Amino acid sequence: MNRLRRFFHTPEAIAGASILALLIVMALVAPLLFSGDPQAIAGPALLPPFQDWSLPLGTDRLGRDVLAELFHGARTSLAVGLAAAAAALFIGALVGTLAGFAGGLIDEMLMRVTDAFQTVPSFLLALAFVSIVGPSLGAVVAAIALGAWTGPARVARAEVLSIRERDYVAGARVIGMHPLEIAFREVLPNALPPVLALSSVIVAAAILTEAALSFLGLGDPNRVTWGGMIAEGRAVLRSAPFLSVVPGIALVLTVLGVYLAGEGVVESTAVRRSLS
Amino acid sequence: MSELTISRRGLLAGSALLLASTALPTIGLAQTPKKGGRLVLAADSEPRNLNPAIVASNGVFFISSKIVETLAEASFDGKDGLQPRLALSWDGAADGLSVTFKLRDGVKWHDRKPFTSADVAFSALQIWKPLQNLGRTVFKDLEAVDTPDELTAIFKFAKPTPFQLIRNALPALSSVVPKHLYEVGKIEDNPANNAPVGTGPFKFAEYKAGQYYRLTRNDAYWGKDEPYLDEIVYQVLPDRTSAAAALEAEEIQLAAFSAVPLADLDRISKVPGLKVITKGYEGLTYQLVVEINHRRKELADLKVRQAIAHAIDKDFVVKTIFLGYAATATGPVPKNDPQFYTADVETYPFDVAKANALLDEAGYKRTDDGKRFSLKLLPAPYFNETKQFGDYLRQALAAIGIEAEIVNNDAAAHIKAIYTDHAFDLAVGPPVFRGDPAISTTILVQSGIPDGVPFSNQGGYKNAELDALIAKASETLDTSARTDLYKEFQKKVAADLPLINVAEWSFISVARDTVGNIANNPRWAVSNWADTYLAG
Repeated sequence: MNRLRRFFHTPEAIAGASILALLIVMALVAPLLFSGDPQAIAGPALLPPFQDWSLPLGTDRLGRDVLAELFHGARTSLAVGLAAAAAALFIGALVGTLAGFAGGLIDEMLMRVTDAFQTVPSFLLALAFVSIVGPSLGAVVAAIALGAWTGPARVARAEVLSIRERDYVAGARVIGMHPLEIAFREVLPNALPPVLALSSVIVAAAILTEAALSFLGLGDPNRVTWGGMIAEGRAVLRSAPFLSVVPGIALVLTVLGVYLAGEGVVESTAVRRSLS
Repeated sequence: MSELTISRRGLLAGSALLLASTALPTIGLAQTPKKGGRLVLAADSEPRNLNPAIVASNGVFFISSKIVETLAEASFDGKDGLQPRLALSWDGAADGLSVTFKLRDGVKWHDRKPFTSADVAFSALQIWKPLQNLGRTVFKDLEAVDTPDELTAIFKFAKPTPFQLIRNALPALSSVVPKHLYEVGKIEDNPANNAPVGTGPFKFAEYKAGQYYRLTRNDAYWGKDEPYLDEIVYQVLPDRTSAAAALEAEEIQLAAFSAVPLADLDRISKVPGLKVITKGYEGLTYQLVVEINHRRKELADLKVRQAIAHAIDKDFVVKTIFLGYAATATGPVPKNDPQFYTADVETYPFDVAKANALLDEAGYKRTDDGKRFSLKLLPAPYFNETKQFGDYLRQALAAIGIEAEIVNNDAAAHIKAIYTDHAFDLAVGPPVFRGDPAISTTILVQSGIPDGVPFSNQGGYKNAELDALIAKASETLDTSARTDLYKEFQKKVAADLPLINVAEWSFISVARDTVGNIANNPRWAVSNWADTYLAG
């Protein structure tokens, strides 16, 4: 409770959390509010916003409802962002803990692999992966996670390196626990908080990467994505700019919200740490 | 008061006269072509091989048709729709076994060597027949080319070949390349494929990858006073939205092949100094076609194919996707073809209820979730419009209970998926009608084509009756009998739906007012531009 109060202490955190809450609500109510296929043709093509109140944000080049697409796009963006971040954190924590706890040759090997992934720009990696595997939601998530797990791996390893020298770890060894059990039951949970602090950055980056992939036509064509909407609208940028601007604003707000909320979490934990 | 009105009127009249007098000389200039100047235009692709004798495609012609000429070019008012280029006349024998070309005298290659019938014989036998994508079919029975003198070339065919077909093939398939440069070494690896040498009004000057192609004036061109332009520069602008901006900023003077997106035309037509031209592509009609994989048991059922045809609102496609710059299609020959088109075929008006009834009849009832079966749909990535039609088709199919999953590929992967791997159920393709159904249209439905031949029937469709009709038409010499056979062909295709023709469209040019002699033949964008000029 205390922590929550501290979290809501900063205006950034409040702004970030409310944007995120709005987004989550959008994603949740999308199938209720706009049941049926969001890509169905709902009206005349290229209807500007605020003309027809049954289609408040107008329609795109085929006559699809922009508002419905925006809501369903929020689902894709959030789903991809969260799934990719979860996968990246999971792989990163796993690799980092193993490397830090095992040390020696395993550490060297795992860290060199991490280096190798870190030297390739993550967007290029995602681009290459999706072009080979073919565009689908799973492939996009995997592609983004593939470029994002190195940060958490490094942070986790650094934490584990300091934790494994603690007394309770030595104690666990003495009572004869299996090293893997020690690593994942004793060390990892304590190394996790700073790794989780990276999550907001990763989610924000994942949402942007997903949008960029969709913009380049490498997103899942059977789903509405904000990046895909921007790409669609680009052909008519001069005559119907709202088609690109609306999802663009949504994207900016989302990334900003995720980032601000993440900042809030970091700050509230920092206050807690300095207090303790 | 009245005095004032009179004086004002007088003033107006006077200024109008003054305006007219300054305007007159410019009008005069626009009518007589002016020499000199550099035409800068947008190019959206960068073909590596610029030899039109090997790669007969519009992307290559767009650049190399100015350098390498054909025997004849399409024409709005010439006899048989042709005007002479390197050949002055063409004459088919009654038995269909030979065609005699009389060639133009005094034509020189860009390297000053004389152009002779030996060049024509070499191009036809060594390149068009064995190597060219389209020539392989049209010239398959070409046996020899006799050259009794330097200005006569007689094509000899092993089997009777319709003269009508040869005539219709001349504008696109008969690019003549110099024998003296191509006779040594492998033709495919010849350096002249990347820096072509021809007889045309412009010479190839340079190519900077990702930037531009530059052509310069051929001073020794055979056309009197031609060409008018000094230089043509193709500015590479792969991004479609940038062509419109470049036109407005006067960085380029011409954007052909719909480089300006259709959605921007309405706006750009109102920009002073720019004109939107829809003519000049009549000989290059693209067809929006739903390709069908007949290996799928549902799609092998004619009722299902009819249902899909009824589910597509062609008027919506023309109005919304092509913004009116297209026509609805009735069959495999486009409406604007003057020789072969017939409207007397089965049509499939937009009727969702009927489509649903047909599917029920075929035994594909809706399950509890409202779906009958699902399909993989591959829209061709070459055009915005084919991609958008893919999105539309998915919705149209959803309305009749067929769930379509869209699979996007890049151009190379798309061609492989459809024409080699057959990994599709439905595909959206843009085949081109090239003035005669035998050139690139019958191949879309004919059976027995080996795997991997792009833009051919790879859907596993087999109809012995239709195959026999195609074979018969290919050896019918009499023009009207042949035309009738192709009308029959259209009827059969429309009735049995090996594929579904949705719409046919062509391209739009946007140019500055100063560019003259635009769109003066049905293949203007891919003709030689000897008479194109820049005023002012």
